[in-house]
Amino acid sequence: MTHHRDIDTGPPDEYVEAEIQRLLVEDPAVAEQGITVIRRERALVLYGEVESPHRREEILRLVSERFPDVPVTSDIGVIRAQAPTEIEQLP
Amino acid sequence: MVIRIAAVGDVHLDEDVVGRFRPALEELPECADVLLLAGDLTRHGTEAEARCVATEFGGLAVPVVTVLGNHDHQCDQVPQVVKVLEDAGITVLEGNGVVLDCAGGRLGIAGVKGFGGGFAGRCASDFGEPEMKAFVRTTTDSADRLGAALRSLDCDMLVALTHYSPVPDTLAGEPLEIYPFLGSYQLGQAIDSAPTALAVHGHAHAGTERGTTPGGVRVRNVAHPVIKQAYSVFHVGDQLDTDQVSPIGQSGSQRSWS
Repeated sequence: MTHHRDIDTGPPDEYVEAEIQRLLVEDPAVAEQGITVIRRERALVLYGEVESPHRREEILRLVSERFPDVPVTSDIGVIRAQAPTEIEQLP
Repeated sequence: MVIRIAAVGDVHLDEDVVGRFRPALEELPECADVLLLAGDLTRHGTEAEARCVATEFGGLAVPVVTVLGNHDHQCDQVPQVVKVLEDAGITVLEGNGVVLDCAGGRLGIAGVKGFGGGFAGRCASDFGEPEMKAFVRTTTDSADRLGAALRSLDCDMLVALTHYSPVPDTLAGEPLEIYPFLGSYQLGQAIDSAPTALAVHGHAHAGTERGTTPGGVRVRNVAHPVIKQAYSVFHVGDQLDTDQVSPIGQSGSQRSWS
């Protein structure tokens, strides 16, 4: 007999992971393709780098709004934009 | 002959980013003859975002040459985006090229956005449903136009500029499953069809910097999240020595990792 998941337990984590990934790309307020969603034992962790602190805040706001019951932690950095200190020579 | 090339891709500009790159960009004349932008200049490809790009990358003391990326197509405003960029003096390439007179010689740059499809042995084929054929033909057309543009340029040094990657080498770090969405071998084949000295691309945010086409052309992934600086600088030529590196060295730079 096939065992069906109880609807009350919510969607499997893998679908949540996929949904968050697509949400971050397809929501016009975010449009980030470079964020990785990783399942850990206690939470989903968002990794990646964005161009401004504002964008990092938008990502966290969007995910917590859409998935209020999913514990999410973030390790998203803002990419440095300083002048280079080295060059590469290509003979 | 040495030509100095600065490059960055995937800067994804909008109002919240304007001004972040500018201090580093003002230093460009000291270390580069040209700045290449490898696509994804904007977040959604709107005219308003293109104006942010024009503010940040326009009016520089070196020529700026760009291709568009997939993000720049999102809102179907490509003609408006291109116009805003060109009005700011930025050269936008798509299946064509430009030749710039640099102190070290004539630099030819051919560019296309490119497209996905995957790499030799693990790629999509022009077969089956119309959607699949359209996907692969988009890639093939793009690569064909890049190859024709590269072969048409009369110059001393040839550079290929794309958004999508021509090789899998520079995708290392990305999940293998998404390689077909990040580039295609046909772009590499086009690059190898001409005496190309360097190929520059973006798009793969989690990739790595360095790779080589099967024909031996150096490939560099300059996506901003990969290089983690305002731009990378490449000195390309056959008579390099430390004296030629000195202008950037004076502001605290070190010898390259070549």
